[in-house]
Amino acid sequence: MDAQPEPVSYICGDCGQENTLKTGDVIQCRECGYRILYKKRTRRSNYFLSLSDDYCFTRAVL
Amino acid sequence: MLVVGLMACDKGALISCVMRGLAVGDGCMMTEKAAGAGCDEARGWAVGLVNKQLVAPSPPVDKFQLLPEFLKHTYIIHAKNLHLGNLVANFDLPHFVFFVNFSPHYTPFFSERYAAPIYVNIVYSNGSHGQLPVMKREKAIIGRMPIMLRSCRCVLYEKDEDELARRGECPLDPGGYFVIKGTEKVILIQEQLSKNRIIIDTDKKGCIQASVTSSTELTKSKTVIRMEKEKIYLFLNQFTTKVPIMVVMKAMGMESDQEVVQMLGRDPRYGALLLPSIEECASYDVFTQQQALDFLEKKWHGVDAIVKDLEEVVRGKIGDERQSACRLKFGKLDTTVTLYFNQEGRALGILRDILVANVPVHENNFRSKCIYVAVMLRRMMEAILNKDAVDDKDYVGNKRLELSGQLISLLFEDLFKTMNDEIRRGIDIILAKPSRSSRFDISQVVARLSFIGTLGHMTKICPQFEKSRKVSGPRALQPSQWGMLCPCDTPEGESCGLVKNLALMTHVTTDEEEGPIISLCYCLGVEDLELLSGEELHTPNSFLIILNGLILGKHRRPQSFATAMRKLRRAGKIGEFVSIFVNEKQQCVYIASDSGRVCRPLVIADKGVSRIKERHIKELKIAFYEGEAKVETTHIEIEPFTILGVCAGLIPYPHHNQSPRNTYQCAMGKQAMGNIAYNQAMSVRLQLGRLDTLIYLLVYPQRPLLTTLTIELVGYDKLGAGQNATVTVMSYSGYDIEDAIVMNKSSLDRGFGRCIVMKKLSAIYQKYENGTEDRIIRPQREGHDADRMQILDDDGLAAPGEIIRTDDIYINKESPVITSSRSSISPKGLPNSAYKPSRQVYMGPKGETAVVDRVALFSDKSNNKCFKFMIRHTRRPEVGDKFSSRHGQKGVCGTIIQQEDFPFSERGICPDLIMNPHGFPSRMTVGKMIELLGSKAGVSSGKFHYGSAFGEQSGHADRVEVISETLVKHGFSYNGKDFIYSEFTSTSEYLILKLIKQALSTCSFIYWNYWYATTSIYIYGANILPEAETHVGMVVVEAGLKPVGSVLMVIAAVAVAIVVAEVEGKARRLGYVMVASVMVVCAGGNGMVVLMVAGKVLDKMHARGNGPRVMITRQPTEGRSKNGGLRVGEMERDCLIAYGTSMLIYERLMISSDPFEVQVCRKCGLLGYYNYKLKTGICSKCKNGENISSMKLPYACKLLFQEWLDFSSFSASHGNELVEYAEARAHNPIPHWQGLWYLVPLFLAQALRWSGHEMNYED
Repeated sequence: MDAQPEPVSYICGDCGQENTLKTGDVIQCRECGYRILYKKRTRRSNYFLSLSDDYCFTRAVL
Repeated sequence: MLVVGLMACDKGALISCVMRGLAVGDGCMMTEKAAGAGCDEARGWAVGLVNKQLVAPSPPVDKFQLLPEFLKHTYIIHAKNLHLGNLVANFDLPHFVFFVNFSPHYTPFFSERYAAPIYVNIVYSNGSHGQLPVMKREKAIIGRMPIMLRSCRCVLYEKDEDELARRGECPLDPGGYFVIKGTEKVILIQEQLSKNRIIIDTDKKGCIQASVTSSTELTKSKTVIRMEKEKIYLFLNQFTTKVPIMVVMKAMGMESDQEVVQMLGRDPRYGALLLPSIEECASYDVFTQQQALDFLEKKWHGVDAIVKDLEEVVRGKIGDERQSACRLKFGKLDTTVTLYFNQEGRALGILRDILVANVPVHENNFRSKCIYVAVMLRRMMEAILNKDAVDDKDYVGNKRLELSGQLISLLFEDLFKTMNDEIRRGIDIILAKPSRSSRFDISQVVARLSFIGTLGHMTKICPQFEKSRKVSGPRALQPSQWGMLCPCDTPEGESCGLVKNLALMTHVTTDEEEGPIISLCYCLGVEDLELLSGEELHTPNSFLIILNGLILGKHRRPQSFATAMRKLRRAGKIGEFVSIFVNEKQQCVYIASDSGRVCRPLVIADKGVSRIKERHIKELKIAFYEGEAKVETTHIEIEPFTILGVCAGLIPYPHHNQSPRNTYQCAMGKQAMGNIAYNQAMSVRLQLGRLDTLIYLLVYPQRPLLTTLTIELVGYDKLGAGQNATVTVMSYSGYDIEDAIVMNKSSLDRGFGRCIVMKKLSAIYQKYENGTEDRIIRPQREGHDADRMQILDDDGLAAPGEIIRTDDIYINKESPVITSSRSSISPKGLPNSAYKPSRQVYMGPKGETAVVDRVALFSDKSNNKCFKFMIRHTRRPEVGDKFSSRHGQKGVCGTIIQQEDFPFSERGICPDLIMNPHGFPSRMTVGKMIELLGSKAGVSSGKFHYGSAFGEQSGHADRVEVISETLVKHGFSYNGKDFIYSEFTSTSEYLILKLIKQALSTCSFIYWNYWYATTSIYIYGANILPEAETHVGMVVVEAGLKPVGSVLMVIAAVAVAIVVAEVEGKARRLGYVMVASVMVVCAGGNGMVVLMVAGKVLDKMHARGNGPRVMITRQPTEGRSKNGGLRVGEMERDCLIAYGTSMLIYERLMISSDPFEVQVCRKCGLLGYYNYKLKTGICSKCKNGENISSMKLPYACKLLFQEWLDFSSFSASHGNELVEYAEARAHNPIPHWQGLWYLVPLFLAQALRWSGHEMNYED
C-alpha cells in the first residue's frame, strides 16, 4: 500500500469505529482491539448507469 | 542417566473423569428441568427394550403442548456433552484469547479450532530404578479437546436469545457440531450392535450361536458359543481352534458335570442337548481343572516371536530402544499379554481376561463367569428348542447409538494410550480430513445449504457395518423403530435403509453409574449370585436380574421388583433413563443404564388414565384435554407426528401420500433454498469459514400458508425455505411435459424465486523467507489495464458495492521476483523493478454481473494479512431451473410466458406457475392436493392452516370438509376447482385452478393482475363473461350452497415453495449441451406451495468442442470445471455396437478422443518406435524394422500396454493372449511386484474399455 493521497478507511466489525491503516499496520481496531475490519461501501454512484439484475426493480419504480 | 519410560500420568483418574463427565450431561439436566417444569413424576421414558406398549388412540388436543418442553431437552444438543472435569478455559496463545471473549463463529477467520485445553496431573520418576524421586507436575496441558457447540463447555451454553444475538450467533442454530480448522464438522451418530449383551443368532451354516461382544475399559473381545454337529464349542480368537465348552467349564473350576447341568436348569431337554459335549470332554480325558487348563494351553494362539520378545522385555534383556519399540508395537496387548507370564499359565489368563471380558473375576473366583456362560448356553438351547427365541439383530433395542462425545472420548483414549504427545495433532488431523480407511471416518462438513439441511445432518445415523451386503434385513423398516427413528427419512440407492434419521423426540442415553443401581437392586431383594447354587438358578418362579448384560442375581417377585424400580425412577431417585424390562420368556429382568440406548418420551397412564393432570399443564400454562385409553394401557403417546423426523415433519398431510414420495421429499427438502441462519449475512463461520464457499439465499423467503406443528417446533417458520405460489394444475403450451413447469414472467419480475448466490474469494498478503513480502499498490487510473482496475479503491482492493465483471482485477497485488532465502535483501530497499504483478482476477460466468458484497481484512495465524471478498449475484429463475413442492415432486422450468398470455380466473387471479396434471395419477400425492386446498383456504381467510401428520384426530390437521367450507364461504368451489380463461386460445376453459397466490404484502400486484385480466375480459368479454357466470352458477348449485363473493376480491395467496438447491452429481447428455439443474417451483395444494430448488442452470450448463486433455492418457478432461468433454461411456458404446454404427464408434472412441500412431512388430508383438532419420519404424527387441506395421490406436491403450511392460510382463497386442496372461498372473504373482498383481485384470478390463474395438477396425 503506497502512501495515499486520501487514505481508505475501514470499519471495525465489532464497534463500528472507522480506522485507517498504513503499510505494516496490524489489522486491528484502534478503539476496541477487534481484529476484523471491513471496507466501506463505495461512494461512486453508478447504480443507475450500469444496471444489473439487482437494480432493475429500482429502475422500474423510478 | 535419565530414564524416560512411559509417563506415569494420572491416567485412570483422567479417563474416569472423562467418562464420568460424559455420563453426567443430559440426565442431570433433564431432571432439573423437569422438576422445574413441575411434572417430573408425570413423565415416563419408554426405553428401547421396554417399548412394547399399545399405542393408545391419540386423545383430542393437546398433549402436544408438552412437546416443546421435551424438545428443549432432547435431541441434538443433547448429543452427549463432553465434560472434562472442571477444566477452565484458560488460553495462553494470543489468538486463543478470542475464544474467551468471543463466540465460536469467529474461529474460522484464523482457521482455528474451537477447543479447550486438557490438563493432567503427571507423576513421573526422574532417576534410575530403585530410588525414584517422584516428580509431580500439576495441570500440564497435553492437548486441546474440540468443544461441541452449545455443549455445556461451550460459551454459548444456555445463553438466551438476546445474548446469542449479541454474540452474532443464530439462536435457532442447533449446535452439536465442532469447529475444526475453520470448518464446521458434524460427527455422525454411529449405529452399533449392543455391547456386553448375549445375542442369539444363526451363523452362515445355520448353526445356532450365542455371542457376546465384550467391551470394558481394558479389553475388547468377542466370545461365541456355537453348536456344531450337536456338540457345543467355544470360539475365541485367542484359541487356535474351537474349544469344547465342557473343557472350558472345567478349566474355570466347574469340574462336576452335574453342576453344569444344574446351572442350565431342571428341564431334561437341556441336559440331553449337553450330553454329546460332556461325552466329548470325557473322550479327551479331561476331568479336572488342571487337565482342562493343560488342554487349553495347547490351543493358545500365541505367536512365539511375540512371546519371546515380551519375555525378553520382561527379563530386561533387550536394550532400551528395542524395549520401547516393543511396547509401542504391542500397545494394548501389553496389559493382557503380560498376564500370560504369570505362573498360572496363559489359558487361565485368557479365560479370566478375554472370555466374556465384561464379567469381572475377582481373585480368580470364576463363579460368576461360569454362571454367565451357563446362561449363554441356556439361552442358546432355548433357541435350539424354539426358533422364536433367536434374537433379531435389527431390533432397535439391540442397538446402541454412539454419539460424538463417546466417539471422541474413545478416540481420545486410544490416542492417549499410545502417545501422549500426539493427542493434540491427532484429533485435529482425523477430524479435519475424512480418510476412508479410518474408523473415525465419520466427520463431515456441516451441510449449510439450508437450515433444514443442517438440522437433518445433525440427526443422521450411519451404521458401522459394511454397506455392500445385499441382505434386506437391516434395510427394512423395523417395527421397533417406531417413534425412535424416522420411517421416511432415508436416502435412495446404496445406503437406503441403512442411513437413518432420528425422530423428533428421540433421546439417546448417556452412561449412568452402575454402583448405586446395583446396591439398590440388592436392597430390593435381589439374591446375590455368589450365594446361589446352580440348582437354584433357574427355579421356576425366579427371574434373573441382569444389569447391562451382567448377571446380578435372581429375584423371586420380578414384577414387584420392576414396579419398585420404576417408581424410584419416576421419583427421580435413580436416573430417568434407566430402563427396566421384565422378559417373561427368558425369565429375566433386564435393567439397562448404559449409553447409546434410543428412547422417547411417553405419557404414563395408570389403569388407562393419563397421569398428566390439569395442574401440570397449568404449570406449563397450556391447555389440556383428557385422552382415552384402555385399562391395560400403561403409556400414552404424546403426539403421533413425533414418529417422524425433522425433514419428514415439513411435509403437510404426509399420511395421505404414497410413502416413497415422502422419502424423496426428505432428501429434497434439504436442498431447499431459503434462509440458512439468522446470522447468515454476518456470520463469519457461514460465509468466510470454509474454502470455496457458495451460499444460496432466497430473496423473499416465506413461511408456508399450510404449515405443520413440526415446522413451528423446529423453527422452520422462522428460517424457512421456499415461497408460496399460486399454482394452476393444467396442461399449457406443451413446454410442460415430464414435470416441467410453465412460469409466469410477471411473477418472476415481482421477485418470485429470485435468489442470491454468494461466492468467496480470498487473497493473502504473503511474507517470504528472505524477509520480502507482497505489496498492494494503488491502481493505475489511466493507460493499459486501467479499465480492469475500475472497481479498485486507492488501497488496491475492490470496493464493496461495485459491479465486478469477468477479467476485473479485485486485488492489485505485486510479489517480489526473488523470494528464496539465499538472497537476503532488505525489503525496504527493494526497487519497483524487483516486483512482478500478481493481481488476482475475477473469473465469473460471462455476462453475469456480480457485485462485490463485502471485503474483510484480518490477519491469519501466521500473521499474514488476509483479504476475503464476498461476491454476490442475484439471479431470477430461468428455463431449466429446478423447483419442487413439499411432496417429492420436482420439475424444471420448461418455459416462461408473459402474463398477458397466461390463463386467469374470472376474479382476475393469474397463477405464478402452471404444473402438469400428469404429475398426480402415478405419484398419488393426495397430500399435495389437500395442501393446495388448504393453502387456498388459507389465503382466502387470512389464516394459516395446519397439515400435521396424522393430525386430523387431534385437530392438528385441518379436515378437507372444513377447508371446503372455508373455500365456499369465500366464493370458491368446495373442491378447489376454478374456472380459468386463456386469452391465448381466446376461449374459456374449464380447468382445475389449483391455487392462487401472492403474499398479502404484495397486494398491489394483484391489481396488476386484475388490470391485465380485465383488459382481456374487455377484449374477449362478449364471449367470456356470460359463460363464466353460467359455470359459476353450476358449481355453486353443485355444492348446494349460495353464491358468495365478488369478482374483485383481492386475494393473496398461498402455498409455500421450497427452493431446493440441488447440486446434481450426474450430468445429462443432451446433444452437445448439458443441461442439468435449475430452480424448481413446486405447487402445493389448491392454495399452492412452491418450493424452489437452488442450483441454477447457469451453474450447470456445459458444452465443449475442442479443449484441454489429461496429460497421462491424452483423453479429454472430465468435468465442467475443467471444461471437460462429454463422455461416451460404456453403455453408450454398447448402444452404438448394437446399432452397428462402427464408424461412429471409431470416431467417438478414437479420433475425437486420443488417437495415436504406433509401430508394432508383427513378429514379437511389441511396440516399436519411429526412427525419423531412417524414416522407418524399428522394433527395439528385434533391432530391425522388417516386420513393423504402423497402426492407430487410442493413446490410453498404448499406455496400458506399456504399463504392463512395467510389470515385467510381456505384452502381445492380441486380446485373448492378454486375457490369458492376466489370468495366469492373478494366480501366480510376479515376485517383485507382489501386491500389485491383482491390478492386472483390472487394467485389462480398463484397457478393453479404453480401446474398445478400434484396433480391429484398423486391421
